[in-house]
Amino acid sequence: MGGRIVSIAANTFRETIRNKILYAILAFALFVIGITYFLADLSVGELTRIIVDVGLASIHIFGVVTAVFIGISLISQEVDRKTVYLILSKPVPRWEFIVGKAMGLSATLALTTLAMAAMLFLVHLGYERSPEPGILIASAGIYLELVLLICLASFFSTFTTPVLSAIFTLSMFLIGHVSKDLIVFGGRSASAAVQWAAKVLFYALPNLENFNWKNEVVYGGVRSPGVLGMAAGYLLCYCAAVLTAACLLFSRKDFK
Amino acid sequence: MSGNGPVIEVSGVSKSYPMGFWRKRVKVLSDLSFVVGQNEIVGFLGPNGAGKTTTIKILNRLAFPDTGTVTIFGEEAGKRPGSRRRIGFMPEQPYFYEYLTGAEFMSLCGHMNGLGRGEIKRRSEEMLTRVGLDGAAGLAIRKYSKGMLQRLGLAQALLHDPELVILDEPMSGLDPMGRMEVRNLIRELKDAGKTVFFSSHIISDVEALCDRVVMIHKGTKVAEGSVDELMGKEGVQYVEVVFSPLPPPGWASAAGLTRESGSVQGDTFVLKARDHEDANHWIGELRRVGSLVTSCIPVKKRLEEIYVEQVAGNAREDGLGG
Ligand SMILES: Nc1ncnc2c1ncn2[C@@H]1O[C@H](COP(=O)(O)OP(=O)(O)O)[C@@H](O)[C@H]1O
Ligand SMILES: [Mg+2]
Repeated sequence: MGGRIVSIAANTFRETIRNKILYAILAFALFVIGITYFLADLSVGELTRIIVDVGLASIHIFGVVTAVFIGISLISQEVDRKTVYLILSKPVPRWEFIVGKAMGLSATLALTTLAMAAMLFLVHLGYERSPEPGILIASAGIYLELVLLICLASFFSTFTTPVLSAIFTLSMFLIGHVSKDLIVFGGRSASAAVQWAAKVLFYALPNLENFNWKNEVVYGGVRSPGVLGMAAGYLLCYCAAVLTAACLLFSRKDFK
Repeated sequence: MSGNGPVIEVSGVSKSYPMGFWRKRVKVLSDLSFVVGQNEIVGFLGPNGAGKTTTIKILNRLAFPDTGTVTIFGEEAGKRPGSRRRIGFMPEQPYFYEYLTGAEFMSLCGHMNGLGRGEIKRRSEEMLTRVGLDGAAGLAIRKYSKGMLQRLGLAQALLHDPELVILDEPMSGLDPMGRMEVRNLIRELKDAGKTVFFSSHIISDVEALCDRVVMIHKGTKVAEGSVDELMGKEGVQYVEVVFSPLPPPGWASAAGLTRESGSVQGDTFVLKARDHEDANHWIGELRRVGSLVTSCIPVKKRLEEIYVEQVAGNAREDGLGG
């Protein structure tokens, strides 16, 4: 079992790492991060802050774009191109295929996120002359969010078209950053039903703010390892649930 | 291993797909049943769109029947993923990961089949050589020609030495040389004790090779049996006897032969006898007038004619049924 999943993941890694769009996005992101070095020179005020803010925002946005747009085609492309026939006619349970695909893209994005984080780290170091490990911790948080988005994109693409999968995944991304507000809004309602519904939604929707370690880390007040561990645990549970649903939907799928 | 039961048993399988704007369900397979016995080569014959690929997808659990059951080696086909280890499958016009080389792809397939590293290396070299791709093992699949893709499809199906080999249109897209190689390969599989089930819309490929044939048209089985069975007991349609020199002019009509059954062709007289007995009678008659036999050929009904008969007959029934 493990061997097959790793093989599928390795093959997906190989496929996505050779994706030209990925390189275009990565090159552009590195360019934007690099240019903050000169931007900071022009602006007044807290120069370091600008470098770090723009840099982390770039890592975040470019990461989300790659996770969503490669994530939605991860499975649908295999089904459309019928490459899936050659894998699933062999002794490979369908769930292993889904999990392997998601793991492979996660590995690719680990590499691109690391490249962007390293670039930002060096730009900051060049400017400030003292290393800022917070950049790496905040980037790790972004990466965990990307893994969750990959799982969501895989889930949607098992039952709908790539365009709709992209729309759904991006909606989840946007909602995921404000889902805490649901509880707040719900709490204000007098109706118990509304309060209850808000709670259910809050637990069903991803809470991506769990992985937002930008402010605390970069501007002091380092989060305790316990909080980081909780976030990792949350990621694991959420991804397991989403992938289980994806695997169930995929397990009875009829290929064209 | 699984006794003497059939290797594949398809029984009462129906399948429909939603089609068109209204997503109306159209039947692609209706109540299809057939068996494939151990160590048989069975040809799955039918015109384009008959439902061959759909059936083969169901055998490989890439599609699910609406009703009916499919068992392979006595188990529900593919339900237990491990059971697929005994099957080798080549899809119709197989699609590959184009960014891999032939050898990389074979290695991926080996891992999917749970083979060990050493075995993968040994078997994939062996199979690539077997299909004539040893020179292209290091080449990206993107650069393969259509025939090479077909060969790679065969190599991956045989990689893990499966007991049952299912091939969807294995000869399509191949030149005459390639077709012959595939035919030889299928014969060798039988000699090695394997069971082969393959689809084709080309009759000569099936006729030359198969122990038995399953013929389908519009999702319905129209014939099943050995090639000889399908051609009738003796299979002989008429006996063609050629005589030389020519009998005297006017002899044929005087003897009661029609233009159909006896005709002059060049400097020979060609006679179509109903059967061997009839042929012997005419040989005696013609000897008396000095014409001697130069050749005698029993002409068999060809599978092609049966195929056309069945398919046309089926179409007529459709017409009658409205
Ligand atoms: N996924 C599908 N959706 C709708 N129709 C399909 C699908 N797959 C096959 N068909 C239809 O089923 C019929 C049989 O197709 P197929 O099994 O590919 O035939 P064959 O392999 O014998 O040429 C065709 O009319 C085809 O259009
Ligand atoms: Mg077909």
